[in-house]
Amino acid sequence: MRVLLRVLAPLVSLAVAALGALLVVEVVAVWAGWGSGAGLLVPWRDWRTSLETTLWTSPVVLWTAVAAIVAGALLLVIGLLARRHDVPLTSPSPGMTVATAPRVLARLVGSRVRAADPVTAATVTASSRSVVVRARGRGDIDAEVRTAASGVLDALPLARRPRLTVRTAPDQPTSRQGVH
Amino acid sequence: MATPDTRSDDAARTVEVDTGGGPPPPAGSTAPTGSRRAAKIARRARHRSARGARTGLVLLGAVLLAAGVLTVLLVNGVFGENRPLRPLFDPLIAQFLTAQDTPARIVAIVAGVLLFVLGLVFAVRAVRPEPRPDVVLDDGAGTRIRIDAGAAAEAVADGAEGLPGVTRARARMVGSNAAPAVRATVWIDEDAADTTVAETCRRLDAEVLAQVRDSLGLPDLAVAVRLELDSVRRDRAPRVA
Repeated sequence: MRVLLRVLAPLVSLAVAALGALLVVEVVAVWAGWGSGAGLLVPWRDWRTSLETTLWTSPVVLWTAVAAIVAGALLLVIGLLARRHDVPLTSPSPGMTVATAPRVLARLVGSRVRAADPVTAATVTASSRSVVVRARGRGDIDAEVRTAASGVLDALPLARRPRLTVRTAPDQPTSRQGVH
Repeated sequence: MATPDTRSDDAARTVEVDTGGGPPPPAGSTAPTGSRRAAKIARRARHRSARGARTGLVLLGAVLLAAGVLTVLLVNGVFGENRPLRPLFDPLIAQFLTAQDTPARIVAIVAGVLLFVLGLVFAVRAVRPEPRPDVVLDDGAGTRIRIDAGAAAEAVADGAEGLPGVTRARARMVGSNAAPAVRATVWIDEDAADTTVAETCRRLDAEVLAQVRDSLGLPDLAVAVRLELDSVRRDRAPRVA
């Protein structure tokens, strides 16, 4: 989303600027009496003719409206979702902020959970609000996984302690090691 | 994007900044305005703000969505049964524009110039690299010492690299000339990360930053630290135990 925002922002801005420039050029051309044909840069007189003859009931209008709804919804979603997902840590003084990536939190929790003996595989998903650990192992590993994961969360100076969710399953012979 | 702070630099410099490593004062307490300003600058320095681009996209998206929905409603006769049977460019509007042609043209030109200027400003803001302000020390006696942005940031990075548990560090200046700040990325050793993070942060603030702030003569220099994990040692260990 962030990359999309960085690409879209200059392109959309340039399109808006081009639209404004065209508008000014065409209006000035009409006023000064330069444009004799359909228009100076764009054939806007042809466009006006078709706008004057097309009725609201024609299918083109409906399809254009649907396209506008889809494009508008996409832009809204991109604009609203392109947030940073940093995990804030407590800072020792007001002039300093400390933050880390959710990936770092997940890696730390994951390596501590996997270090526990009966755990054979673990997957961790982390954000600043919640940490979800999915682990496989021999026997009842729920308590052990929970202890290891909360140990990391307690040791880290997190600004807000995320909610810890542990899901465990008995080991299967074909289990693979989980991702970070 | 950080906007230049218009407050006077001198006023900010006289304010004491607590570097003793105490917890941040709770919100709503009578904290000195200088710390609040430093906190604000540090928050801004965490990453390049994309608020302008996001607001613009959300606005444009909302306008497109509203136009599309209104058109669908109009086509379905919500605004009157006869409305959809008229042309898109209604003769009534055409008559009105022909009668008022000079005001209509002026409005169109003003709107065009506005769109052009706003579009260009946003495009330039989006593609311009983030500025790296130099640190200017002004003695007030006609002497100005300019510290290169790279040198000032390197002081922070070098100091951070000297801390135990830190494998490497990188820093750069961000913000404006009136409110410079340091954005630092600190890689810590993964094996001991959870136990050393708190201590590393405390020493970074109490020792490294205190020294840098002191030597640069900027007691309220704001710093945004980003912690990353370094897996150098892990790679060196045998993969099969």
